[in-house]
Amino acid sequence: MPIGNTQPSVRPASAGRAGGAAVTAAAHRSGARPGRNRGGLRAERYAPYILVAPAVLIIVLLRLYPLLLGVNFSFTGDGAQNGTAVGFGNYRELFADPLFQTALRNVGLLVLLLPVAVAIPGLLATFIYLRVPGHRFYRSVYFFPAVLSPVIVGAIFNLLLAFDGPLNAVLGSVGAGPVDWLGDPDVAMFMVVGVHIWATFGMALVVFLAGFATLDAALLDAARVDGATLRQVVWHVIIPALSRTIQFVFVTTMIGMLTSMFGLLYVMTSGGPEGSTYLPEFYIWKQQGQMNRPALASAASTILFMIMLVVGLLQIKLLERSGKED
Amino acid sequence: MRQRAIWSAVLVVGLALAGCGSASDSGKSTSSDGKLVVWDWKSGEPFAKSYLDKAKADFKKKHPDVEVEFVAQPFDQYYTLLGAAIQSGKGPDVMLFNGGGQIRDRVDALVPLDDYVAEDRQRLAGWEAFAKDGKTYAAPVTLQGYPIYYNKEIYRKAGLDPATPATTWDKFVADCAAIAKAGSKCFALGNKEGVGIQFWLSSLGSTTLTTAEYDSWIAGKRDWNSPNVKRIFQTWKEAGDKKMNSDGANSTAMFNDSFALFQSGKAAHVMGLMSDVGHWQDFNEFLTAEKLGVMKAPVVTAGTTPTLPYDGGIGYAVAKWTKDPKVAADLVRSLSSADALKAFYADAGAIAADTTIDVSQAGPAVSTLVSELKSGKPALHVALSSKTLDLMGRLSQQLLSGSVTVDEVVKQLAASDQAG
Repeated sequence: MPIGNTQPSVRPASAGRAGGAAVTAAAHRSGARPGRNRGGLRAERYAPYILVAPAVLIIVLLRLYPLLLGVNFSFTGDGAQNGTAVGFGNYRELFADPLFQTALRNVGLLVLLLPVAVAIPGLLATFIYLRVPGHRFYRSVYFFPAVLSPVIVGAIFNLLLAFDGPLNAVLGSVGAGPVDWLGDPDVAMFMVVGVHIWATFGMALVVFLAGFATLDAALLDAARVDGATLRQVVWHVIIPALSRTIQFVFVTTMIGMLTSMFGLLYVMTSGGPEGSTYLPEFYIWKQQGQMNRPALASAASTILFMIMLVVGLLQIKLLERSGKED
Repeated sequence: MRQRAIWSAVLVVGLALAGCGSASDSGKSTSSDGKLVVWDWKSGEPFAKSYLDKAKADFKKKHPDVEVEFVAQPFDQYYTLLGAAIQSGKGPDVMLFNGGGQIRDRVDALVPLDDYVAEDRQRLAGWEAFAKDGKTYAAPVTLQGYPIYYNKEIYRKAGLDPATPATTWDKFVADCAAIAKAGSKCFALGNKEGVGIQFWLSSLGSTTLTTAEYDSWIAGKRDWNSPNVKRIFQTWKEAGDKKMNSDGANSTAMFNDSFALFQSGKAAHVMGLMSDVGHWQDFNEFLTAEKLGVMKAPVVTAGTTPTLPYDGGIGYAVAKWTKDPKVAADLVRSLSSADALKAFYADAGAIAADTTIDVSQAGPAVSTLVSELKSGKPALHVALSSKTLDLMGRLSQQLLSGSVTVDEVVKQLAASDQAG
């Protein structure tokens, strides 16, 4: 047990902080060894709990308790019904709201697009690792968007994707008609996700490069000697060797997509056109801030929390399984 | 002995955490004796300085020993922050509101001001936007209206007479065809936020609905199945189908991209505002006062008379949890006193709620607007709930893209309007 191992470092700390004087005084007075031992054992038994207590209390008081309050709040009404219990009324209303359904469908779309969001930094990192010409330059350029705030990124792409913007001008110069990138409900969500991937893949790229640092170069050399093509090297050597890194990037990218696209949505589409780019967090913000429906917003938050919990647990399972394989 | 040490350690940790909690708590309580806290999103702006100075001086005369603190919140998050304050039952004593849905949704947290502001009733206009169920909850500072501005220069280029803009919808559509031929768009439209339809509804409301329909709409008895109500959405769709709007309306932000289109002379008309942004002062600056015109809404339904749609734009309200509502109400009165509002009009370029202010210096467009205030009526969209407005915004985008019919739109809006 780790607790037993940490005995020497635990005792001086706890004695020094809380009961140093009391302990020595007690030992002197009684002078009996068994008594001292019993007291010491008890302190050692409690010491770890005391040491983790601040962290646990902070989590319980500032995380779990507000979470429970929020869940509890989601079962009460809004406006005139403020404070009265309405059972599952808010949840029924949510699932009947076509806008919330769109938001959930968009979460599904994000899950479907997740492999793309992971493959792009993965492939680019592979090329950098394989030292394509100019790889140093690309490494810094790829990371650059990751330091920009989503609001700035959104504003830049608002200009680029505007109906009379440069992208449509380029399309026009090659004879294609203009596309209303952010005004067409079938296109807008893909544009926002695309911009989000562009803005954040630098971070995943760095994680991949860190993963490559642990890759055994001898394996690559061996594959080359055996005459493997680039595709075979990627598929049979790099991907298996980096499986844990890939899974980690999957987890972080998914969380990033579900929780940090608000800024982009707010700036680029405001949830539109026709409500097609709603995500749960945008819906929550809208209901709480604009519609004055805090209890409904809590119900939506609870559902988002459940989704995140399921996604998180699934991914922890995956990580554990791969850990066992190693 | 050891146990005692352990318990004292637990106690220390517990107290430390409790201390954190109470520290953040005491920071929140803002209401105290001899001090009033005001929340708004204006007081940080340079143009509001002389207005606030005048208002504070006026209040000082009545209550020399009461201190007033203005807290400027970012407008983006204003109602989110206010919602949190209302939820906790603590917060500012006096707060700024937009007229219409934003204040009506929150009257549970406000004090009715009717008894306190009786003397100001006649002098100020725009009270209806701050009233619910016969009670008034805020005193208006500015008026917000939805006039149709037009660019006289584009009219001249298109061979139209800038002095006599179209008075009927059919003539207006014909004029727009002439304007299109001359290379300009008819309307600068930004409907990304779904606000374009709100302006459309209110600007064309008086000439599409009959007087009886208009008045019962404002009174809350809205017949969504009336052919005239449908007509409003049909003209909206018609303008889209006939390419009268600027391109990409559903991805153009009204604030301020669509106004920029109008200012830069790319579109002949815009349904703009009277105060704050997208209004005569902005347009004068770019187009010059001579080129800027204000037109009455073209008549869609025969027999109707155009009136200017306007409401109280912003106004100050008093929170229920304030210690002495009388003192807070006096501050609200000072914030809409004649001197203060005059400063607001001059510096912020808003049409102030006090209609006795002289505006002849600001160009012909403003004079036209102010002269129409007397016959003006509350705007149609301000009577709708935030929820219905949000739905209408999305449906209006669908109308422009052709993925919904007018019948379906009024059906959904009727359901939302009746529900909430």
